[in-house]
Amino acid sequence: MSRIGVFVCHCGENIARTVDVEKVAAEAARLPGVAYATDYKYMCSDPGQNLLKNAVAEHRLDGIVVAACSPRMHEKTFRNAAKSAGLNPFLCEMANIREHCSWVHEDRDEATAKASDIVAMMVARVKKDKRLVPITVPVTKRALVIGGGIAGIQAALDIADAGHQVVLVEREPSIGGHMAQLSETFPTLDCSQCIMTPKMVDAANHPNITLHTYSEIESVDGYIGNFQITVRKKARSVIEEKCTGCGVCSAKCPQKKIPNAFDKNLGTRPAIYVPFPQAVPNTPVIDRANCTWFKTGKCGVCQKVCGPGAIDYEQEDRLIVEPVGAIVVATGFELYSITEKPKGSPIKGYGEFGHGTIPDVIDGLTFERLASASGPTGGKILRPSDGREPKQVVFVQCVGSRAREKGISYCSKICCMYTAKHTMLYKHKVHDGQAYVFFMDARTPGKSYDEFWRRAIEEEEAVYIRGMVSRLYQKGDKIVVMGSDVHVGVQVEIEADLVVLATAVQPRAGADTLAQKLGISYDSYHFYSEAHAKLKPVECATAGIYLAGACQGPKDIPDTVSQASAAAAKVMTLFAKDELEREPIVAKVNEKNCVACLYCKKVCPYGAVEEKEIRDRQGNLIRVVAYVNPGVCGGCGTCQASCPSKSVELDGYTDEQIMAMIEAL
Amino acid sequence: MKHSTMRLSTETMNLDFVKKVEALSGSSVRRCFQCGKCSAGCPMRSFMEHPPNRIVRFLQLGQYERVLAGRSIWYCASCETCTTRCPNKVDLAAIMDALRKCSWDAKGPSKESYVQLANRLFIDNIRTYGRQYEMRLAAVFNVKSGQFLKDLMLGPKLITRGKLKVFHQKNRNMAEIEQIFKRIEEMRKKGEAP
Repeated sequence: MSRIGVFVCHCGENIARTVDVEKVAAEAARLPGVAYATDYKYMCSDPGQNLLKNAVAEHRLDGIVVAACSPRMHEKTFRNAAKSAGLNPFLCEMANIREHCSWVHEDRDEATAKASDIVAMMVARVKKDKRLVPITVPVTKRALVIGGGIAGIQAALDIADAGHQVVLVEREPSIGGHMAQLSETFPTLDCSQCIMTPKMVDAANHPNITLHTYSEIESVDGYIGNFQITVRKKARSVIEEKCTGCGVCSAKCPQKKIPNAFDKNLGTRPAIYVPFPQAVPNTPVIDRANCTWFKTGKCGVCQKVCGPGAIDYEQEDRLIVEPVGAIVVATGFELYSITEKPKGSPIKGYGEFGHGTIPDVIDGLTFERLASASGPTGGKILRPSDGREPKQVVFVQCVGSRAREKGISYCSKICCMYTAKHTMLYKHKVHDGQAYVFFMDARTPGKSYDEFWRRAIEEEEAVYIRGMVSRLYQKGDKIVVMGSDVHVGVQVEIEADLVVLATAVQPRAGADTLAQKLGISYDSYHFYSEAHAKLKPVECATAGIYLAGACQGPKDIPDTVSQASAAAAKVMTLFAKDELEREPIVAKVNEKNCVACLYCKKVCPYGAVEEKEIRDRQGNLIRVVAYVNPGVCGGCGTCQASCPSKSVELDGYTDEQIMAMIEAL
Repeated sequence: MKHSTMRLSTETMNLDFVKKVEALSGSSVRRCFQCGKCSAGCPMRSFMEHPPNRIVRFLQLGQYERVLAGRSIWYCASCETCTTRCPNKVDLAAIMDALRKCSWDAKGPSKESYVQLANRLFIDNIRTYGRQYEMRLAAVFNVKSGQFLKDLMLGPKLITRGKLKVFHQKNRNMAEIEQIFKRIEEMRKKGEAP
C-alpha cells in the first residue's frame, strides 16, 4: 500500500478564487493510498516547500502530488524539494489545477469537482511511478559557431578565450558579415570597419578557433554534448595553405566587370577576388560562374601569374566532419527587397515604390556602401544612376516592416536609428543637402538612442515628417515622393534626387533549411525560436543549441554582441562539466515484443531510434529490434503512440500509468 | 491654400524665417517632437483653426505663410499654459509672441483682418490715457472698421456691471508713460528692440 501526500495550492487567489481548495484536499485525503492531504496559500514559497519536506518525513510518504500550476512552471521546484526530503524526484508529480482548471472556468462547484478529478488522476499515476535515475552523457568540449558576422565572431572569441576549441563556419569567402559593410555605427558614429576588423583578425589568429570560410553546414547528427557536424567546404579553386594573399591574380584577371555583391552591386570585381580589402582570410576565391577558364576552358591567367602556385582549377568541394558538444547559431539577417515577389509568396513587394525599377531608389545597406570610405564611391554620396551628388534625399522608414499587407507585421528595430544615422552621414558629406525622413513612429529604446535621434533633427537639421509615403515615381531625373504630414494633415510632395528605403530585416534565405538540419524551431518568418521569450532568450528548445544575433529576431549591434556573449556563457556552462545529466523521461523498447517494423524510427522527430542487432554467443544474428538512444530521445512519446505491438514506452508516461489515470476518473 | 499640397524643397522651406522666430523668441522650434501637450491644455484651442502644436509643426517645415495666414496666433491669450507644461522646454508662448510680431511686420495676411487696427488703436489708447479706456477703444474701433453696431448690445450689460466706465480717468503719471513710448521708439530706430 502506497503512502501518497497531496498538497493543494491556493496560488494566492489564482486557484482559490474558483476552486474550493480545502474541499479538494479533503476529498484527496479519502482517496485510497493517500496518507496525507493539505492545502496551503503558496506551495512554491519557502514555507510551502518546507511543509512538503516535513510531511514526507512525518508521514513517511512515498509519492507526492502537488495540485498547483503547470508542470512547466514548478515541476522542477517541487521535484527538487522532494529530492532534498530524501525522495526520488520522479515520484513527485504536478496536478495542474490552475491553467487547466481555475483559469479557464467560472463555476466554482464544477471547477472544484474538476480539480478533484485531476488530483485523483495524478494520485493514480504516482502510484505507478518508477524511481528513475538521471541519464548522464559525456560532453565533447568543442563548440560549433554557424555564421561569421559580429554575433558569430563574438561568440567564438568568448568560447575560445575560455579555453575551448571552436569551429567557426561562414558561408561567404570572408568573415565579417553585415557589420563589415557598414560605414559608421550608431549612436557614437564610430567607424564600423575600425572596430570590426581587429575582431575578425583576432578570430582568424586565435589558436582555439578553426575557421571554415566559404563553407556550409551539410548535415547535423547527434545530440547535446555529442554532435557530429558535416561541413561542406566549397571549392575556392585557391589552395589556402599556399596563397600569400598578394593579390596579383585579382589584378591580372581579365574579367573585371562583375558586380560586387559586397558593395550591393554598385562596384565591380574580378572573377578571382576577395570581397573587400580587409577580408579575413585574405585568400581569393574564383567565382566559377563568371570565370573565363570555367566557362570556356581558356585563359588561366591567374594560374600563370601566381608565384606560389596556389591556383587549383581541379579543386572540389570537401566534406569535413567536426565533432562538437554545443552549437551557436548566428546566421544573421538580410534586407527585404521591394521587387516583385513570386506569386503565392506570403511576402509582397512594393509596386507603389516602383518594384525596384527606379535606379535612385536604394536600400539602407546600399547607402552604407555609398557612405563607406572603402565603398565603391570612396565615401562620396553619389546617385547610382548618373553619379551626381544628390541635394534632396528622402528616407522612408518602415518599408516592409509593420506592413501586414506586405506580409510582415513586426518592427525591424534598427531602421529608426540607422536612418537617423544616415541623415547625419549625409549632412556631414553634403553640407548644402537636405535630408527628409518619412516615419510612422520613431522607436529609440537604447542607451543614448533617443538623444541621437533628436540630434539628427535639432542639430543636423533633418526634416522628419510623420506619415508613410504613398507612392514614388520617376519624373525626369527626379523622384517624386508623395506623402503626408499627419501632424498638420497636409499632403506633402518632395522632388528627391535619391530615395533611401529602410527595408525590413528578414532572416537569411535558407534559414528554414538550416533549422531543419539542426532540428530547431522557427517562426512563420523563419526567425529561430528561443526556448522561452523571457527566461531562456538564447537557448533553443533543442538542447545544446544556442542562438545569437539577428537570426533570432531583428537586433542592433550592441544587442547582438550581448546575445552572442550570453550564448557563449551558456556553452561554457555546458562545458564546465565532463558529463551532463538529462531527465530520464525517455522511451524504452521492450525487445521481447518488438518486431522491428521500425515505424518508430520513421516518426521519431529527434532521430533517436536506431536498429539493434541481437546476437547469440557465437555472434550469429538472431533478431533485429529497435533501440532508443537515451541521449538523443526528447521524451515526446510519438513512438509509444505509433507502435503497433505496444513495445515501446516512455518512462513516467507508461501505458499502465495512462490507463490508471483514466480508470481513476 | 490651407489644403493644398505642401511641396517641400530647400526653396519652399523658409528656414530663415524659422531662425528669425527662434531668435525673437529665444526658444528652439526644432526641439518640439509633437507630443501635443500644448494643444491639449490650450484654453483657446477651440477658437483656433490650427492648434498650437500644428503652428510649431508648420514652422518646422518653414511654412510661414500658412502660420501667418491663420488667426490662431491672434487667438493666443499668452496664458503660457503651453510653456509651463511643455515636456521639451519649448517656449511656445514666446514663439506665439514672435509670430505676432512677424505677422505685424509682414505686408501679409494679418493686414486682411482688423487685428492690426485693433492693436494700433489699443496702443494709441494707452498712450493717450495712460491706461485702458474701453468705451473709447470700442467706439473708435467700430467707427474705423466701419462696423458701427458691432457688439453694441453688450454695452449696457457691461456698464451696469461696472465693467465698462462711461467716463475715463487718466493716469496720473502721463509724462512717464510718454517717456516709455518714446524710449521704445528710439530703441526701435537703433534696432535694439523688435
